[in-house]
Amino acid sequence: MTARQTSSEAYAVATERMAVRIVSLLLIVAAVSVFVLWSANPTGSGSETTFALFLAVDLVAIAMISYVERSVSEQGSIGRAPLIAGCCFVLVLVVAGIYLL
Amino acid sequence: MEATGEDSQQEGKVENENGGLVARTLSWFDSRLGLSYQLLRPAPQYSINPFYWLGALATIAFVIQGVTGGIMLLYYVPNPTQAYATTQYIFQNVSNGTFLETIHLYTAYAMIMLAFMHMMRGYFVSVHKKPRELMWVVGMVMGFVTLGFGFTGYLLPWTIVSKSATDVGIGMMGALPQPLASSLTFLIVGSGTDSGELLRFYDLHVFVLPAVLLVLLVVKMYMLESHGVSEPTNGVESLPPKKRRLIPIFPDVSFYLVELAALFGAAVILISVIFPLGLPPEYSAALAGQYVAQPDWYFLWIYQILKISAFEEAGLPIALSVVTLIFIALVLLPFIDRGKTRNIRDRMMYVTLGAIFVAEVAVLAVWGYRTPGMAITDETAFLVLGGTALLVTLVSVVAYRAVFGGLRVFAKSRGSQGVPSVTASSSAPKPAPSKSAAVWTSGIFVVLLTAGAFFIGESINQVVSLVLGATAVLPSLTLSLAGLSLTVVGTLYFLYRLDLGSGAIRRRVRAFEIGWKE
Repeated sequence: MTARQTSSEAYAVATERMAVRIVSLLLIVAAVSVFVLWSANPTGSGSETTFALFLAVDLVAIAMISYVERSVSEQGSIGRAPLIAGCCFVLVLVVAGIYLL
Repeated sequence: MEATGEDSQQEGKVENENGGLVARTLSWFDSRLGLSYQLLRPAPQYSINPFYWLGALATIAFVIQGVTGGIMLLYYVPNPTQAYATTQYIFQNVSNGTFLETIHLYTAYAMIMLAFMHMMRGYFVSVHKKPRELMWVVGMVMGFVTLGFGFTGYLLPWTIVSKSATDVGIGMMGALPQPLASSLTFLIVGSGTDSGELLRFYDLHVFVLPAVLLVLLVVKMYMLESHGVSEPTNGVESLPPKKRRLIPIFPDVSFYLVELAALFGAAVILISVIFPLGLPPEYSAALAGQYVAQPDWYFLWIYQILKISAFEEAGLPIALSVVTLIFIALVLLPFIDRGKTRNIRDRMMYVTLGAIFVAEVAVLAVWGYRTPGMAITDETAFLVLGGTALLVTLVSVVAYRAVFGGLRVFAKSRGSQGVPSVTASSSAPKPAPSKSAAVWTSGIFVVLLTAGAFFIGESINQVVSLVLGATAVLPSLTLSLAGLSLTVVGTLYFLYRLDLGSGAIRRRVRAFEIGWKE
């Protein structure tokens, strides 16, 4: 086994570990958002907005999980820019949702 | 010694068992559910692009429609006396009812817009060519069914807006040729009573159209599976090997679709949050007289055509025939545009026609939205529609010149080899001019002369009015002069084109050196 192969495998393992961490975090975010959206009082118009915002958080988290898994599978690396953009988007939605709670 | 299939599978399993948590989890599901079994053909890497999946997004919108519509069916009663009350109940009393209604409407809008984008993208990259002609025809029928969803669903809340607009639509059917008019009216309205009409619309919207769309979807998916994803217009050879490789439907393409679907869902939800739907007043005969009926945005372009003075009253059958001809031409496009090339560079005429169609539909829709109930004079219609077509054509000519450095109105396969090139040396033998190119150029020249005569007449009229003190004609005068200028520029350009053989103008006016290229 050459040094180059060893380095490549080490990179793949590191990427895989990073992906597991990102996906775990996103799963937690998705689970919390699902819990919050079903806990909101479903009658007022403000709570409808909260429901919608946390549903959007859930969907964005799912999209990011798919992106991470696809990137690892196709390229063996994960692009930073889409992840940062997705995290910012989730953050804005969560803050807006909490503000309306 | 060669490894057998079983050996390879065994190796794969061992590899997966040594992989990370995600790989092992996927492998576990894969081995139990057979997800990686090649039921569907793999897709090329270059298809990992949202423009390749506009139809899939429209299908996702259809699924969301099904889910939200199914929930609303639990409360809705298709009867004129209860339709509005039950819709109002959904808005006010059902959990997240307003959100549900808003999502249902906005995904319907998204579905129509995505279907239109899917069609136009297919038109521009020529997916309708051999062997996908019937896929195009089926797709067009699916597009009509999608519009049918919009038309039938619009009436169901029984509001003043929806009922008035639907009545106008049904009234227009009377202008169609008689056997067709009575059959269509009977199919849609039934006995003619309000309850009969609502029940028919409900049946069509909830049972008939979804069933038809599902059948057509299966047929189209089968054909897609048979022919595969369409190749890039420049051919697969133009792509790097990495883009050409095939990727399996599971997990790569599936994950990409999940990604697109989730982002699409999130976008629709956010738009629903920012612009929540309100319920207009209930329909009543008394209120209907005070309200200006106007269709939803996707029918506004047709509505605007029908408002042109020439198409009113006796001219209505002509207008309906024009609209019907546009639809027929779209359906039969694969049998009209029969050139073999798919390269945009060689399809200037069809690309320009497509761009004119999109621009005219957009202009008519916005115009219709801004002028509800107002009749449009023939002159204004000619000015706006003709001006839009002329402008798009000029932009197209300039864009082709800038991007490709030359013009190819007709594809090589249709005999453009006879078109002379400006860049060719004068000593080179001059090929015979293409007959179709000459006809095309002369046709445009006649149109330009007609437009020139019209704009000159209009400008003189406006100047006379201005001299007599009517300052309100200034905008019209500006438009007429702008139209006249464009016509003059176009006429000069085409004079030059007709002079390509002798080169007399070309030698003197270097700025106009735009020519045919082999």
